[in-house]
Amino acid sequence: MTINEIQDKIIEEFSLLEDGLEKYKYIINLGKSLEPLKKEYRTEENLIGGCQSEVWLKAKIKNNKIYFAADSDALITKGIIALLLRIVNNQSPGDIINCELYFINRIGLSSNLSPVRGNGLFAIINRIKTLAGNNL
Amino acid sequence: MEHFKEISTEQLLYKIKNPGVKIIDIRSADAYNGWKEENEKRGGHIKGAKSLPAKWAKYIDWIEIVLSKEISPKDFLIIYGYDKIQTEKIANQFIKAGYLDISVYHCFVNEWSANEELPMEKLQKYTQLVSPVWLNELITKSSAPEYNNNKYVICHAHYRNKEDYEKGHIPGAVELDTLCLESPETWNRRSPAELKIELENLGITCDTTVILYGRFSYPDNNDPFPGSSAGHLGATRCAFIMMYAGVKDVRLLNGGLQSWIDEGFEVTSEENRRQPVIDFGNIIPSCPELAVDLPEAVEILKAINKNLVCVRSWKEFIGEVSGYNYIEKKGRIPGAIFANCGSDAYHMENYRNLDHTTREYHEIEKIWRETGITPEKFNAFYCGTGWRASEAFFNAWLMGWSNIAVFDGGWFEWSNNNYPFETGLPK
Repeated sequence: MTINEIQDKIIEEFSLLEDGLEKYKYIINLGKSLEPLKKEYRTEENLIGGCQSEVWLKAKIKNNKIYFAADSDALITKGIIALLLRIVNNQSPGDIINCELYFINRIGLSSNLSPVRGNGLFAIINRIKTLAGNNL
Repeated sequence: MEHFKEISTEQLLYKIKNPGVKIIDIRSADAYNGWKEENEKRGGHIKGAKSLPAKWAKYIDWIEIVLSKEISPKDFLIIYGYDKIQTEKIANQFIKAGYLDISVYHCFVNEWSANEELPMEKLQKYTQLVSPVWLNELITKSSAPEYNNNKYVICHAHYRNKEDYEKGHIPGAVELDTLCLESPETWNRRSPAELKIELENLGITCDTTVILYGRFSYPDNNDPFPGSSAGHLGATRCAFIMMYAGVKDVRLLNGGLQSWIDEGFEVTSEENRRQPVIDFGNIIPSCPELAVDLPEAVEILKAINKNLVCVRSWKEFIGEVSGYNYIEKKGRIPGAIFANCGSDAYHMENYRNLDHTTREYHEIEKIWRETGITPEKFNAFYCGTGWRASEAFFNAWLMGWSNIAVFDGGWFEWSNNNYPFETGLPK
C-alpha cells in the first residue's frame, strides 16, 4: 500500500471513534502492540529530543525500503509511534521525505493532543524524515 | 451511563471535610490563580480544589493529565466552574472515563465566592501572571484589571533567534534577545551599566509595567543552540533580571505565546519599534538581593536555614550528562537540594502544565515541601546558567515567598572554577 492509502485507511478507522476518550483508548491499544525496541538500541544517538517522554527511533534500509523500529516509556507515545510506523515502514526514503502526513490533522491529532505531546509528535516526524534523508 | 448529582453550598461545605473528596475547578488556570473572570466577589478557588481547566478536555491525552494530578476513579469528585453546561460536560467526560461518584456544584459565583466566610485560596501574586485575555484587553483598551499604570512594554523574548519574533508575535510586542540582558561569556546577568543601556533602549523605566512571553518550539538538546527554541524559558530569565534591576511591575504571560494562540488571538509579523527612554529612573540593581554569586553560594551550603536548590534534570544531577554542549563537567554541587526541572536543560515539564501554563502552585509547593524547600528558609535556585532557576524563582515569588534568590552562575560557574562536585546517586 502507498503512504496515502494507509493514511486514508487510518482516517477511516478513526472516523468510527466517537470522541477523544475513544481515540485515546484506541491509541493506547496500538501502543501495547508495538514491538519493544531491543535494549542495545535505547542509546543517546537514537533518543529523540523535544518529547515529553523518552522516545528512541532507529532505521535500517533493505532493497531501498526503510524499516523503522521505535519505543517509548509512555504508552500513548508508543501508540502514536505505532500509527506513524504503520505509514512509513516498508516505504522508500524518497516517498517518506516527500509525503504529507495529512492524517494527523484529519484524525484530530494536531489540534487535540496537548501542546507538549503535539510537539513531541512533530519531533518524531522530523527524525523519521531525517533518517529517511540519510538513507537516500 | 451513570448520572452525576448536583450539590448545594451547604452540602459542599459538609463534604469538603472528607479526605476522599476531590474538588475539581474547571475554570481557566488564571481564574484558579485569582483573576475574577466573571466579576465574582472574591477571586481564587475553593480551598483545596485542584485545577483542571475545561480547555484540556479536548486533548486526547486528557485522562493522563487527570491521573497525573492524582484524581483517581476511587475519589468522590465535586466539579465546579463558571458555566453550568461546561461543568456538566466535564462531569460526563469523567463518567465516561470510569469515574463513578461525581457531583457538580453550580453556585460558585453567587454563593461561595460571595460569602466571605467560606474558605478560598489564591496565588498570592496572581496579578503578575497574566492571561491572554487580560493582555488583549490591555493592548486594545490601554487598560485592564489590576493595572494602574499608563505605560507598559510587551517583550517577545528569544535567544539569538530574531526569526522567532518575525515569524509571529503579539501585536505591539518588541523583540528581546536574552543576550541583551545576559552575557554570553558567563551567561550571568549583565553589568548594571549594560543593563541600564539595554532597558532604556527597550523603553523600560523602573515604573513601566513589563509583560514578557516567549515561544516554546520543542528545543532539541542535539541542536547547536537549543535555547533558541525555548523562548518562554528565556522570558522568565529576562523577567528575573528585570526584577533584579529594579522594574517594579514585571508580569509573565501564563503559557507564553502558546496560550495567546490557544485563545484564538492573532499574531503579527510586523515589527514593533522600540520607544527608548532617557532614564531608567532608579539605581541598577535596585534589588541586588535577588541574585547571589559563587562566594554566597558556598556560604548558603554551610547555613542550616538556607537551601541551594538545583533546578536541573535527574541525568544532570547524577552526573550522567552536563546538560549543555558548552559545559564539559558533569555532576552536582554537594549539598544542593534537587528540584527536578523535567527532561533536560531546556525543558521545565515539572513546573508547567501540558499547554505550557504554569503548573498548579499547590502541586509545586507540595513537591518542594517534601524535600525541605519551604518559605521559612532562604532558597537560592540554580541550574546550568540561570534560565530554569529563574522560572523556579518566579514560581516561588508568585507564591509570595520573600526569602528567595537566583544563584546566577549555577553549575557553569561552579564547575568552571573547579569547586568540588559529586556524581552518582545521592547517599
